[in-house]
Amino acid sequence: MPLHILLILVGGGIAGLAVLLHLLGHSRRFDLSDAGTARAEWLRHWPTDQVAHVYLGTKAALIDTPQGPGLLRPFGADTVGHRLAEVTETARGLRLSFADFAAPAIILPLPPETRALWLRVWSESQNG
Amino acid sequence: MGDLSYPDVVQFAIPGFIALILAEFLWIHFKGKGGRYETRDAVASLLMGAGNVAEGILLGFVGWWVYMALWDATPLDLGTSWAVVALCFVLDDLRYYWVHRMGHRSRWVWASHVNHHSSQHYNLTTALRQTWTGTITFMFIVRAPLVLLGFHPAMIVFVGGLNLIYQFWIHTEAIGRMPKWFEAVMNTPSHHRVHHGRNPRYLDANYAGVFIVWDKMFGTYVPELDSEKPEYGLVHNLGTFNPLRVAFHEWVGIWKDATQRGISMRHRVMYALAPPGWSHDNSRDMSPAIKAKYLQRHPEARGTPGFTDL
Repeated sequence: MPLHILLILVGGGIAGLAVLLHLLGHSRRFDLSDAGTARAEWLRHWPTDQVAHVYLGTKAALIDTPQGPGLLRPFGADTVGHRLAEVTETARGLRLSFADFAAPAIILPLPPETRALWLRVWSESQNG
Repeated sequence: MGDLSYPDVVQFAIPGFIALILAEFLWIHFKGKGGRYETRDAVASLLMGAGNVAEGILLGFVGWWVYMALWDATPLDLGTSWAVVALCFVLDDLRYYWVHRMGHRSRWVWASHVNHHSSQHYNLTTALRQTWTGTITFMFIVRAPLVLLGFHPAMIVFVGGLNLIYQFWIHTEAIGRMPKWFEAVMNTPSHHRVHHGRNPRYLDANYAGVFIVWDKMFGTYVPELDSEKPEYGLVHNLGTFNPLRVAFHEWVGIWKDATQRGISMRHRVMYALAPPGWSHDNSRDMSPAIKAKYLQRHPEARGTPGFTDL
């Protein structure tokens, strides 16, 4: 097959499917608005954990466990949960990073009181 | 017979792949059953597929040169009859079984294969979520015995393409079970859903490409249970749709682990070659430990499919 035909097929196929999926409502994010769901989703990712507390944010949840705190967040129609490696405050919100190349750091623009709470939970986990 | 050639069946199948993906998506959307689609997940899978084709164009010559060197060296030539092509197809599927099994039991090969399992969805786009780094695992060398036995390299590449095309349609939840005789011999959507499951029960099972009989012969077959739906993805799922991170994350992980301070040379080698989840301080779990911990929480599962060896 000529290369230009292959490129048109592949490029057109990917773009066309993306537009179709989006227009038909398949870009909706996972709804992470209640603690019970967040707890269940964390245990789906980390089934041997014990969840001590769930701190809901606007777009994610901080999950406190005896194994250390982690972040649960929507990932398309699903969720992902990763243990935290570092939490720092920036002008745009909390920067949360993970010890995993497959989970790039994110910045969450949380309300001030949530930001302070999450920083305290992280700080306490570091101080044992 | 050095200039024997067969059509590039995978490239010719691409329009069919696109049409079937569209058909599956529309079926799921309008029927409201038979699987799930999500925009960014599907796009990531398709970009991985496009990258895989590009890698084949850019690096495919490496394996081809090796095969042709072996072909020049072997005194055997089985010819090009359809019976030989059929035999080549079956033996190449056996080769696929073992390479695939190694792809789950050695981190070096897993680093290439992991992206195929990295979607939390299971639909026809998942079939195209293929590796960009297959050549650098050097697993193409496992085809060497076929060349030395007298199967022409062009024939081996041809049947490998047919194998890949066969595996496309089994990446779907829209098909439940095939007729019993078919399920007994062939790899099917049901068998392959098990292979993509991250449930402890389904880990390290059903490596078959076309014929499920290899798993039954070599003790890795686990049936799909109606009582336990496969949950798709990795034991630790990715937090990115970025194709570059999807393609290379496990290689980066190997590099970071193998170059850390304070470990022996043996540990460094083990981080590259040992099964996924191996660690020098036992801080991570490999599949047997994940299964054992599951049985501690669910002792009633002991002896059931997927847990018969524990």
